[in-house]
Amino acid sequence: MSVAELESAEIVLEAPSGLWREARHRLVRNPGAIVGAVLVSVFVVTAIFAAQIAPDKPNEQNLSLLQNGQAVGPSSAHWLGIDTLGRDEFSRIVYGARFSLLVGIVAVAIGLSIGMLLGSIAGYAGGLLDSVIMRAMDVMLSIPQLLLAIGIVAALGPGLGKIMVAIGIVNIPIFARLLRGSVLAQKENDFVLAARAIGVRRRGILFAHIIPNSISPVIVQGTLAMATAIIDVAGLGFLGLGPQDPATPEWGTMLTNANDYLVSTPFLAIVPGVAIVLSVLGFNLIGDGLREALDPKLRGRH
Amino acid sequence: MRGIVLKTGFITAACAAVLLVTLGLGGSSSARPTLIYAGAADPTYLDPGLVSDGESFRVTEAIMEGLVYLKPGTTQLRPRLATKWATSSDGKTWTFWLRRGVKFHDGTTFASGAVCYNFNRWYNWSGPFQDASATYYYQAIYGGFKHNDVSGLGPPLFRSCAKKGKYKVVIKLNRKSGTFLPSLVISSFAMQSPKALAQYGADEGELRNGSFVPTGSYAFQHPTGTGPFKFKSWTVGEKVELVRNNSYWGNKAKLGRLIIRPIGTTTGRLQALQNGEVNAYDLAAPQDVATIKGNSSLKVITRAPFNVAYVTIHQGTGSPMNDLKVRQAVAYGLNRQQVVDSFYFGAGKLADEFIPPSLPGWSSKVQKYPYNPNKAKQLLNSSSCHVPCHVDFWYPTNVSRPYMPDPARNFQAFQASLEASGFSVTPHSAPWRPTYVAKVNDGTAGDLNLIGWSGDYGDPDNFVGTFFKSFSAQFGFQNPAIFNILTKAANETSVTKRIALYKKANEMIMKYLPGVPYAHSNSFIGAQKRVHGMVATPVGGTWFQGATVG
Amino acid sequence: MLRYVVRRLLLVVPILLGLSILVFVWVRALPGSPISSLLGERATPALVAQYRERYGYNEPVYKQYVKQLRSWSRADFGTSIATHREVKDEIKQRFPATAELTVAALIFAVAIGVPLGFFAAKKHGRLFDHASLFISLIGVSIPVFFLAIILKYIFAVRLGWLPTVGRIDVLIETKHPTNFYVLDAIITGDWHALWDVLKHLILPAVALGSIPLAIVTRITRAAVLDVQNEDYVRTARAKGLPPLTVDRRHVLRNALLPISTIIGLQAGLLLSGAVLTETVFAFPGLGSWLRDAIFNRDYPVIQGGILFVAFLFVMVNLIVDISYAIINPRIRYS
Repeated sequence: MSVAELESAEIVLEAPSGLWREARHRLVRNPGAIVGAVLVSVFVVTAIFAAQIAPDKPNEQNLSLLQNGQAVGPSSAHWLGIDTLGRDEFSRIVYGARFSLLVGIVAVAIGLSIGMLLGSIAGYAGGLLDSVIMRAMDVMLSIPQLLLAIGIVAALGPGLGKIMVAIGIVNIPIFARLLRGSVLAQKENDFVLAARAIGVRRRGILFAHIIPNSISPVIVQGTLAMATAIIDVAGLGFLGLGPQDPATPEWGTMLTNANDYLVSTPFLAIVPGVAIVLSVLGFNLIGDGLREALDPKLRGRH
Repeated sequence: MRGIVLKTGFITAACAAVLLVTLGLGGSSSARPTLIYAGAADPTYLDPGLVSDGESFRVTEAIMEGLVYLKPGTTQLRPRLATKWATSSDGKTWTFWLRRGVKFHDGTTFASGAVCYNFNRWYNWSGPFQDASATYYYQAIYGGFKHNDVSGLGPPLFRSCAKKGKYKVVIKLNRKSGTFLPSLVISSFAMQSPKALAQYGADEGELRNGSFVPTGSYAFQHPTGTGPFKFKSWTVGEKVELVRNNSYWGNKAKLGRLIIRPIGTTTGRLQALQNGEVNAYDLAAPQDVATIKGNSSLKVITRAPFNVAYVTIHQGTGSPMNDLKVRQAVAYGLNRQQVVDSFYFGAGKLADEFIPPSLPGWSSKVQKYPYNPNKAKQLLNSSSCHVPCHVDFWYPTNVSRPYMPDPARNFQAFQASLEASGFSVTPHSAPWRPTYVAKVNDGTAGDLNLIGWSGDYGDPDNFVGTFFKSFSAQFGFQNPAIFNILTKAANETSVTKRIALYKKANEMIMKYLPGVPYAHSNSFIGAQKRVHGMVATPVGGTWFQGATVG
Repeated sequence: MLRYVVRRLLLVVPILLGLSILVFVWVRALPGSPISSLLGERATPALVAQYRERYGYNEPVYKQYVKQLRSWSRADFGTSIATHREVKDEIKQRFPATAELTVAALIFAVAIGVPLGFFAAKKHGRLFDHASLFISLIGVSIPVFFLAIILKYIFAVRLGWLPTVGRIDVLIETKHPTNFYVLDAIITGDWHALWDVLKHLILPAVALGSIPLAIVTRITRAAVLDVQNEDYVRTARAKGLPPLTVDRRHVLRNALLPISTIIGLQAGLLLSGAVLTETVFAFPGLGSWLRDAIFNRDYPVIQGGILFVAFLFVMVNLIVDISYAIINPRIRYS
């Protein structure tokens, strides 16, 4: 059992009526979720409009700006300072949001789509297919997430694209389990039995009824997976498996490059580090808020 | 009453004084200070003949000695285990008179038998020991062994070693050599105890993963020399512990214990120094020098620049780099001065040739190549590789060298300046060890790569001879004129003639441009102010014999 | 319950087999040939031929797999390209350090997380609850190595309370019979060494344990919230039992069941977190070893490390599941 499964087990699935309205009601009253929403919106907007928001190009070197060879901290010309090659930190952070968002979306999309497919098939088909698929998922889960990602990247070669695939693959078993659990819980529900009695094909039931009803835990898990994806990219960058062009304005890579300059110019590490923390926090807050909002057990308590 | 109190007090004080004085004169090593020194990594092995890295040499230099050595802090040759020497008129016979009263740490006597044992041991190495990963320095100086089992080795320089009495040896060479004597300062040629070498299987080894590994215990647990410190223990990943040699023949060490520990990152070493967990550390990053100096209890010890950072230009079949104009364009297209000014924190000097200015043979008349993007583009367009000229440019990761403190930083600046000069640069990188250095040496690291060299002993052959005396896969060119002049200079024993030859060679090299040198740099040691007498040697070592703490 | 235990044990076999197949395929997926990955770039043709023979690369795939499986069962993972030592020797040397660190991190996470989550549940909806949730969320949102860097800077460099590097002060001379330094210090009765070793463990353990701390807090809170409203608790309260007794006897005991499951799962997070944290503190464990191997593309080490860690993870989960079965009466009788 993974943490995700345990936590998603907190949500007992019922027919969706009224769930969304109540959820939204509870969500807006959750201060954490509001903060999260703000953080995530800022993150997404920054990523999409990076070219407009950034004052300079992220790769424009300007060695004459260095003072005694050191990077310089925040000033009025450069809000977050300049890095060791005279590039504007603020611009690099803004463009870095783009990389993080891209990686997060692609990785989660891969994990989600393949995982959902495998999980729902396993849950609905049952029997040998179920066993085989779930054993495979177990094997993948037997390797700690980061190490699995490392292994995949080691095989595929370093680089941002490969990292996206690796983190995506790592997410597959989590979504598979989630969907399987959800399908299993719903298989014996009345409306499913009714549909089968009428003669609706199994595949039809799966796609038209069961999967839509599984949306809520998937959304929750999706936002949380975004958060872990951004952290894992930073971690992989820290291990030297990130984008191979050192000029890439990716937050994890920037954090790693700042390692040798921690004592002389610590802001070079603090800036990308805080950026990572804030965006990850945003996704975690929203995911958490969503989970609380969609938890039927808390219904009618407040 | 008062009398008794006074008397008691006086007696107590007297007893205390006597006690203190006794303890002070006790001479036990626990009364002597301990120095904790941090390097970047563990030693590879502790048999200096089989390694070539500074971490290993740092330990072996404290416990072993050669026939001669460089006066600490300088590049001047001085007697050590040999008190004087003479050479025959044809330069092929060398006589050494040895120091008396010297004992190895295992109690055996140092005498002519030990010297010939060591020389013969190296000469007779075979099989896996002849791999370049094992005996790098022996091959570089002596060229070959008694029987060359590996291809690429030349005829051996060494011919024989004969004992003439207990304290005199005669070494015969196969040809005259100007590098033989200076090279004896290299740590690989330290004198080690024949008894210990034999007892602990020092000549047992094999190739693993294509690299040499000693299989006896000598290189791990029983290195035995004549030096001011003795080996005590080595816990991999934690520390090497050396203790004072109380029977040392010369000025005995002031330290009781010397502990060398590996801390992988420059930040980690600096923070350990700031926190008092080490007394000093090597390879301080130049960007941290200001921080260390700004701390009232710390200081910076500087090594004079004795290195060169350069960009290899690899030539080979069908490569655009074979065209001199393209190589010139590269030289004009690198903004070397700005990189040296901006990235070396005042510790770097622009390098216009492949040897540092402190070495004889340095020429002020070499061709210079100031940054000129337009000229570079012109040259390219009149060459075989028009704008944009595509190049593969490699740089190493996971390393910081004194001549190249932040390779990725140098790389990015050079990439930008080359692109502004009509090149199109494709970046490649690999971790320093085991991949990058091997690729550079094999010539498989693209058209251009960042690399450098720190001198081992005070001779220009150690720089330009190593690079350009003969064909090397790294540079990939054939230029008999350069090969010949450098070989002639290496074999020449007259000092004035050698200097003239090397000057001419440097001028020829910088016209031919097998590569583009760009920086000579200081390297730094960070230390507590209460550490005294520790000397940083220009060849990258640290001299602990006179060091003390407190 | 015996059936459960047996079933659970049997489950391990296909997982381990699947794991071995995964890694076997992985080695062949590495850039370059598997031989050059495992021998490094400097291998001579003679050596390559030797290895092809020894590991059967000339034979059909399934035979290679069997040979590989046999060598892995003997813990023969090959030789490190960087250090030329046997991978299994390096694992043996480095494992105790990481084991101590992960246990310390786990103790930290549980000792602080359980009370934190408990009181958060008790004060559900109030400031303490929101605050503790927020803190735990921040804990999950900070990359472990970033937290390690910050902690080291504040507590070691700035305040000087704790050491920055290593497992033990190099000046301390003490014996290490088991290589588990904490255990060694206790066995040899060297209290000075014990205190020193613990000091070296604190910062890395806190950094490493930050994520498990967050998760333990959340799960404890959820579990306590769940249990609190169960009928048997309400009954106990109605009976007039003092609240403390109710908490202790009913709430905590039952809440601890899901918590203990979680603890086993944290092992995976801790082991991978160690790869990122140990380097910051120059802690000579499996984590920094693997990190160096990744940087140096030392594939035999990466292979051995992944196999070992995954194996460990599977075993820990096995033990946790079985003990969970022993504790949880519901499963005992299923």
